Order: sequence, then C-alpha cells, then structure tokens
Amino acid sequence: MFNKRLTAKAVPLTVVLGSAILISSSAFARSNLYADFPITLKDYSGSATTSVSYKGQMARHALESSLKKLISKGDMSAMQSYYSGDDANRAIIAPATKGDFVIKQSTIGELSNKNLSGKTYKGLIPGWPGNMTGPEVAAFMFEKAANVDGGYDAAHAMDYTQLVSKFLMGAVTYNQAVDNYLDEKLEADNKPNNKPYKDGAAYTGKEHVWDEAFGYFGAPAHTLTISAQDVYNIAKQKDIAAADYNYDGKVDLSNEMAFGHAYYASSYDKGGKTTYLHDIVGAYMDGRDLITSVNGRALSDSERDELKGYAQTIKTNWEKVIAESVFKYAGSTYKDMMKIEAIIESGGDVSKEWRTYSKHWGELKGFALALQVAGKDMGETSVKLNRLIGFSPLLLGNTQVTGIDSNGEYVQSDAETWGGYMVHMLKVQNLMVDEFGVVARSNDMTAGLSELVQSLGAKSSAEND
Amino acid sequence: MTDFFANFLNPEKRLFIGYLISAAFIALIWLRIAQKKPLTEIVSGFFSTNVWFSKSALADYKLMVLNQFFIKLLAPILIGQLALTIFIFENMHLLFSRPSASIPVWMVMLIFTLVLFILDDFSRYLLHRLMHRIPLLWRFHKAHHSATNLTPLTVLRTHPIEAVLFSLRAIIVHSLCLGVCFFFFAESVSLIEIFGSSMFVVIFHSLGSNLRHSHVNLSYWSWLEKILVSPAQHQLHHSINPKHYDCNFGAVLAIWDSIGGSCIVSEKNQDIKFGLKDQSDNAHKLKNLIIGS
Ligand SMILES: [Zn+2]
Repeated sequence: MFNKRLTAKAVPLTVVLGSAILISSSAFARSNLYADFPITLKDYSGSATTSVSYKGQMARHALESSLKKLISKGDMSAMQSYYSGDDANRAIIAPATKGDFVIKQSTIGELSNKNLSGKTYKGLIPGWPGNMTGPEVAAFMFEKAANVDGGYDAAHAMDYTQLVSKFLMGAVTYNQAVDNYLDEKLEADNKPNNKPYKDGAAYTGKEHVWDEAFGYFGAPAHTLTISAQDVYNIAKQKDIAAADYNYDGKVDLSNEMAFGHAYYASSYDKGGKTTYLHDIVGAYMDGRDLITSVNGRALSDSERDELKGYAQTIKTNWEKVIAESVFKYAGSTYKDMMKIEAIIESGGDVSKEWRTYSKHWGELKGFALALQVAGKDMGETSVKLNRLIGFSPLLLGNTQVTGIDSNGEYVQSDAETWGGYMVHMLKVQNLMVDEFGVVARSNDMTAGLSELVQSLGAKSSAEND
Repeated sequence: MTDFFANFLNPEKRLFIGYLISAAFIALIWLRIAQKKPLTEIVSGFFSTNVWFSKSALADYKLMVLNQFFIKLLAPILIGQLALTIFIFENMHLLFSRPSASIPVWMVMLIFTLVLFILDDFSRYLLHRLMHRIPLLWRFHKAHHSATNLTPLTVLRTHPIEAVLFSLRAIIVHSLCLGVCFFFFAESVSLIEIFGSSMFVVIFHSLGSNLRHSHVNLSYWSWLEKILVSPAQHQLHHSINPKHYDCNFGAVLAIWDSIGGSCIVSEKNQDIKFGLKDQSDNAHKLKNLIIGS
C-alpha cells in the first residue's frame, strides 16, 4: 500500500473517519492520491491488491533523464543502450541520490525493463531537416552528439543534450499519452473495461490505459496533496519531505518523483498565474475515479464521453505546458542574441554566451518539435513555427542550417540578419499566445511594451489648436 | 455625463478646473498690470453674457456634447495602437542593434518625456498646417475657425472627422515614441509626470494655455514668440483679416512656424475680429458646422 501517510503520522481517528465519510458520501468526490485503486476486474484470482500499474512509464522517464546525462559523454553505445537496449541492469544515472534526497531504485530493471525506441513517434518530424521519422531524428542526433565534444557543436550552435531530451520528452511520453492512450485506446472496442488489459493482469483494459497515460505525464501520485512549488522542488531534488509520501526515507521513482512535462507544468504554476499541473492531474484523477466506479463492467457511451472530456482537459493543458516552454526559450534565445551582439560590437569573446545561446535554442527547438508530435495536424501554425525557428540558430555571418546533404552533413545558407532573427523570436512568442493562449509567459519580451501602451498610450481627444 | 465632467477634473485635459483658475489669475494680472484696465471691467469681461451666450459659444457647446458621444466610437482605433507599437518595435531590430547597456533611469525618463513632447508638438503643428492647406481638410477645420467669440471651451469646437484625425495622429506619435524608446531603453521607459500627466503638458496648461481661446490678448516679448506661441499669437491665427491667414499653426512651440515661415508675432494691444470672412450667423448652426454651408 502506497497510502501510508495517514497511519504513519498520528492523525486523530475522527479526522480519518470524517474524511472517509466525506469521500464516500459523494459518488463524484475526487480521490487525492493516484494509487491503491481497488481491483474491479471480475474473476481475478491473482495476488495483486491494487489495479494501479504504470511502472513501465516511470522507467521510460528514468531512461530519458539518464540519456540526457549520457549525451554529453559522447559514448554512442551507451546512448543506444538507453534508447533501444534491453539490459535490466542499466544504471539510473538520473535522478540519482543527492544528499538526503535518497532514490530508492538504482537500475532500470527495478522499475521495469523498457526502452524508448519502441515508443517514439513514427510520423514525420517536419521541424527537423531530412524528412525523418521520430526514431530517425533521435538516431541522427545521437550520431552528431557522439562526433562533437560534450555533445555540443559550436559551429552549428547545436546543443544535443537539450535537443535530444526535449525532443524525446515530446516524441515518447507526450506522444504516447495524447496520441495513443488518450486517443484511440478510449474507444469501446479497444481495451474494454470488462476484460483484463492482457491475460492474467489485475487491471481492466481501460484502467490500465488510463494509468499508462498518467504515468507518461510524470507527476507524483500525491500531486493533489502538495503545491506546484513542492512538485518543482521534488523534480529539483531539493525537498525529500515533499517527495517521500510514505515516509520510508527514500524517493520511489515509481510514484513519488516528478519528471518531464509535469516538472515544466510545476515550474509555470509556481508563478501563480496558471494551474496546469493540478488541472491535468485532477482530470486524470476524475477519469480514474470514473473507471473505478463502474466496477469492472464495460463503460457506456456516455461514460466514455465523460472520460474523453477528462482526456481533452489533459491534452489541452499539456499542450499549453509545451507551448509555454517554447515561449520561455524563445525569450531566452532573444536575450542571448542581445548579449552576443553587444559583445561582438565591443570586440569581446562570445564563446561563453554562444554556449548559452546554443543551449537555449536547443531547448526552444526541442520543445517546438515536441509540440508537433501529438499526432494531429497543426496546419499553418506548424509551418509558421518551423520557419520562424529554422533548422539551427542564426549563426555568425548570418547563415543558418537549411538542410542535410547526402552524407548527413548540415548545409548552411544565407539567412536573416541578426535583428531579423531576434524578431523571429518575438513572433514565436506571439504565435504561442495567439494559437495556444499561454498565460505564464516566462521571459516575455514585449510585456513591458504592452504595459507602456496601456499606461502611456494615446487617448482620444477632440481638443483643437 | 460623467465623461463630460471628466473634462474638467482630469489634469490631462486642457479644461481641467485647475488650469482654468490659473488662466484666470494670469489674465487678471495681465489685464490689470500690463493693460491697466479697471478691475470691474476685467471681472465683468470674464462673465460677459455677450460672450458666453453668444451664438458662437452656444455652437461650441453643441459640438462639445456631440463629440462627447462621438469620441466613444473611436475606441476601436485605440486598440490598434498596441499592434502598431509592436510593429514599430519589431522593425527597429532591422535598423539598429538593440543595446543592453543600461542608462540611468532618470536619463531615460528625461529623454522619453522630451522626445514625446517634441514629437507630439511637431506633429500637431504639421497636421494643423495640413488642415489649413489641403482644401478637403479645411472643410472640416473650418468649423473650428467659424467661432466668432473665443472662450476656453472653443478648444472642443471640433468637427467629428477632425477628432478622428487627431486621434490617429496621437496614436502614430505615441506608438512611434514607445516602440522606439522601448527598443533602446526597455523597461526603464517612463514619463516624468505631474498629477499623472506629462510634465510638459502640465506646465503648458498651467501657464495659461486656456487664454489662447479667449479675448485676453496676452502676448510675450517678440523674441519669445518665435519660440513659444503666445495666446495673442493664436488669436492672430483665428483672425478674420486676410493678412493673418495661415499663420501660427503651432501648439506649444513656435519654432516650427519660425522654420516654416508662418510665424507672426503679436502687436501691442491688438484688437482682432475672429471668424471666417463673409460668414453669416447660420455658420453657427450645428448642421452647417457638420455638413458645411
Ligand atoms: Zn487652425
């Protein structure tokens, strides 16, 4: 049982009973812990005590964060092993124990022996040169990373650590959740609720579909009991008390850690303008409560419609989290360009700022690619976004990567002026506001201007001269 | 109706009660000390029913009320301001590199306040000149010049189409100023304000701007009238005498008229008739003010 917090602390019995009555008195009261949902499957005869299971997803999060560390080492076989290998003893490189923030698991096998390649979006990645599928882009990036020092190609301003990690966060976890589990797997004939997900499983089809989708988001199971700031601190490995829900002194990566886009959601929400994290996890919880409530029978059409409503809430908010990230890093890239321009004009050395510029652009590009792997056609928005960002940052001499030749080498051509590319970054921010309605808007480069227009702008007047 | 009274309570407006009081004081001193008029004559002049209830003044009031409603319809134009400002800000990137070195905030405030004032004043002069020189525009501006009595309220004797042009001018100037200054100074941009309005606007109005539309012929030294427009100079702009036509277009600064060759300095104790040549009393009818006669 995961839910040990109530018994571990001396909570007055009346509170326990009170909340138990409160929860059972309303059929639609929301659970606050994504754990311990009962087994509803008819004729289940195994030894499991709960129907919840999503360790495979958490293993993939651990693979992604470990892979991120490996890119800068330039070891091709290690990268491949974490991306597509099957060794259960692969060490969890990140997150690893840090001070009192003790991680319970140390190998991927302790979670679930999985890989990433099988779950990478197979469609075209339009924002990357070379007409490649998701796995091909990943393989291409690994190869490039292995050929440069520390996974960083200064000549093309490519930071593969950022590119790979942000791209895969989209192409694996986001895609799997929104384009598979929260999509066709919610249909009546796909993984029905009155049958086990697979033979011998303790969970029904729909229970497990929903649990896997939850796992891919990367939020701790007890997210609804803590704040966005807490979840942020968990991801940063700064707050063991917030993470260790069952008081065993360790952080269990299978349900207590914050990963991936859940971490980014918390980073925006802690600013107070948005509630992406709790809206998403809340919708997951409502969906899971609904599935549990039908007690192992097939979902009716109206119940599935309700479930799809929760799925839509999740998809919309998740997409916004990625769009917020695109917005944020477009702003960072803009600021870096300002600094670089000033240093060049004063004849200084830009190598340090160039490194930061490459890093921020890598995050921008990675999130922009991630935004486009939801398995839906984003139409003109996609075209605009990819043109504005291009295939590389603007390079010195005002050139940009425009393609890949037959040897897999980058082709560069003349592009924008420096200022022109800065304007592209502003337009990327506008696009995120117009198309996705982002609200947190970190690094907003025109917010000050909007405020000035509001306070000092012209007012209508009929005063004559 | 609250909007109507806001004209008198908002220090951004020329008809703000404080500016009217300061103008009255300045007029009193001018008429008593410089022109040595008896106090009773001065005071009765201020409250002369011949002026305040003249056909001309009544026409001022009608246009004032009409514009009160019309101005509300212009709100959509103001919304375009942000888009224009961002457009200008973006295009600055193609012409200049954006500086990241920080300039002291007080200096940025001074630069911005000064640039906005100068650009605002110059564009008023330019538009005013065009209103006179382009026949189509003169048809609208004529409504203002048909005033045969000048009172501070004549400032709002404006054809509605002219009000649209004034708003567009203000939007272009503000967008340009904000877009360019934000590009160079980012978040440091702000206005040196007194009572929530630009320092220069408040100073200009406090020093008797309301006397421009009045019969108080307050003049400056002629050297100063080549730099700053005096009330008497603006009264020349309203003169019925052909030799004064198309002079003194400026709002605050006379520099533009001096450069443009349209600056006429005032004469001592000038006594000027206001209005348009050959105009009849019908000119003050609202229909004629709007559609023309
Ligand atoms: Zn005029």
